[in-house]
Amino acid sequence: MVVVDAAGGGGRQDEESRRLGFALTVPAQMLVLFIAAFPLLMQAYISLTDWSPLDGIGWWRAWELWNGFANYSDLATDNRFWGALGRTIIVMAICVPAEFLLGFGLAILFTGNFVGRRFFYSVLLMPMMVVPAVAGYMFFMLFQSGGPVNDILSAIIGSPVQIAWLSDPDLALFAVIASDIWQWTPLMFLILLAGLLGVPEDQLKAATLLGASWWQRFVTIVLPRMKTIIVIALAIRVIENFKVFDTFYIMTGGGPGVATETISIFIYKVTTQELVWGYVAAIGLTILIVLSVVAGVAIKYMSAQRREA
Amino acid sequence: MTRSPAFEIFRYTVILLALSVTLIPTLWMTSMAFKPIPEWSASGADLTWWPNEPTLDNFRFIFGESSSELIVALDRTAGKPILASLLSAVFGTLIAMISGTSAAYGLSRFGAGQSLPLALTQLRLFPPLAVMIPVMIMWAFLGLTDTWWGLALVYGIVTLPFAFWLMKTFFDDMPYEIEEAALVEGCSRFRVFMRVTLPMMRAPLASSALFVFILNWSDYLIALLLTTREWVTIPVYMASLSSSMTGQLYGAKAALGLIAAVPPVILGIAIQRHLVRGLTFGALKQ
Repeated sequence: MVVVDAAGGGGRQDEESRRLGFALTVPAQMLVLFIAAFPLLMQAYISLTDWSPLDGIGWWRAWELWNGFANYSDLATDNRFWGALGRTIIVMAICVPAEFLLGFGLAILFTGNFVGRRFFYSVLLMPMMVVPAVAGYMFFMLFQSGGPVNDILSAIIGSPVQIAWLSDPDLALFAVIASDIWQWTPLMFLILLAGLLGVPEDQLKAATLLGASWWQRFVTIVLPRMKTIIVIALAIRVIENFKVFDTFYIMTGGGPGVATETISIFIYKVTTQELVWGYVAAIGLTILIVLSVVAGVAIKYMSAQRREA
Repeated sequence: MTRSPAFEIFRYTVILLALSVTLIPTLWMTSMAFKPIPEWSASGADLTWWPNEPTLDNFRFIFGESSSELIVALDRTAGKPILASLLSAVFGTLIAMISGTSAAYGLSRFGAGQSLPLALTQLRLFPPLAVMIPVMIMWAFLGLTDTWWGLALVYGIVTLPFAFWLMKTFFDDMPYEIEEAALVEGCSRFRVFMRVTLPMMRAPLASSALFVFILNWSDYLIALLLTTREWVTIPVYMASLSSSMTGQLYGAKAALGLIAAVPPVILGIAIQRHLVRGLTFGALKQ
């Protein structure tokens, strides 16, 4: 939870501490300002022009290519943009619930002691520590038509399977989703297990003595206790999944065609291949504004919920 | 919860299944890294799960030794990209940790910088691509494009939220009495911070720094946008390891991927206890 701890850990507010407190926060403030204030103004300015780095004029002279809000109206009718956005949402709608359910299921199995628990725990966490670009390459290799995935399928079916996963528009999306689920289910598992272990043992024991079934205990004690943690875990994955780039781009480059082109890959390609930076600036700024509004509403909603609770 | 033998069997079955799904991609890359060239391109029938003739040729190849079986030679070796990844990740970690730790202390103890939590959370929320245009322009203007220090600066800013939130929760947890005792003895507040607080926080500082390092080391997108040739990092270099003559250099890429993947996995296991705290911005402790 984002807690703004206003009072601080408890200090007398004298002149010395006020000055030191200010001095200590200066570097961080400067970095934020450096990456936020000026760049955002620059981005807003460029987004109102047709400027491209190929034009041969400095960005400050971009006003010569002023086109008002044309970039923004282009965006509204850009089918490729809306397609990418839709795909990003489809990916999210499959990945996040799948990761949540798999992670939660595994976490439940990890409550209580059993032989090898620590070892299994460490190994199961590994995928989330693998560099995403490398994970992308792993799955690129796995899904080659002569690769292990087809090999395993062949062994199961009994006849040779030669599916070209990454060059088939329908299957490529499935393959990149598989890589995301592989890499980020451990994160759900990690967070949800930490939450599960925080549920007070004695309450569960008391409920058991009173004859509550496993399911009853889960629904009436565990789930309500886990509510915040579940929201945090889901929020983290929704945010990160929306940005997804590395694994997808390395596996398919957004292709075949635009079959796996998510919003990040779309922006990357427009930035580096079509070089219409004025347009890219408009896309970026739109996303920033929409996300800020969504986040603001979400935080407000959650703090209202907390007050009621 | 339930403890019937049937449940135990179920538990082990599911866990072992999850374990194999977890391990297969990694093992496949490891196996690929030690395969000689004839075993690289598996065409269905002759797919080998484990190298028949394990070799270190792939590692030698990416470090510049020409191979008799490969017609292509690399125009640059993996040495410099590894150096680039290391330098940018280490210095990015330093920037994030120094500014993040001091800001966290300033807020936690003195209530300074009230706007930072929200600003830094927003920084984490936004996709980097949405703000990269001005950064690319600024970096080109400042001569920071394609340098490890330019990359380190971006990394430092991008991972600052993690350093800040992690250290803030650690400072919040720390009892104030010890510092107070030092204050009574006449130390200045700054001296207390440097001489009492920070040494006491050695372990949290180390885990936070490792956490931030893993994040920096894992970047691909920012390096892809901000480096072009001289200081490309491992993942960017890795993606360039293919040629029109031989196609994908599977084994070489796998060897490099293994080199890139090992440090964060080891460090991640080392700081396992603090992963939850770091990932949830300190909202959740383990």
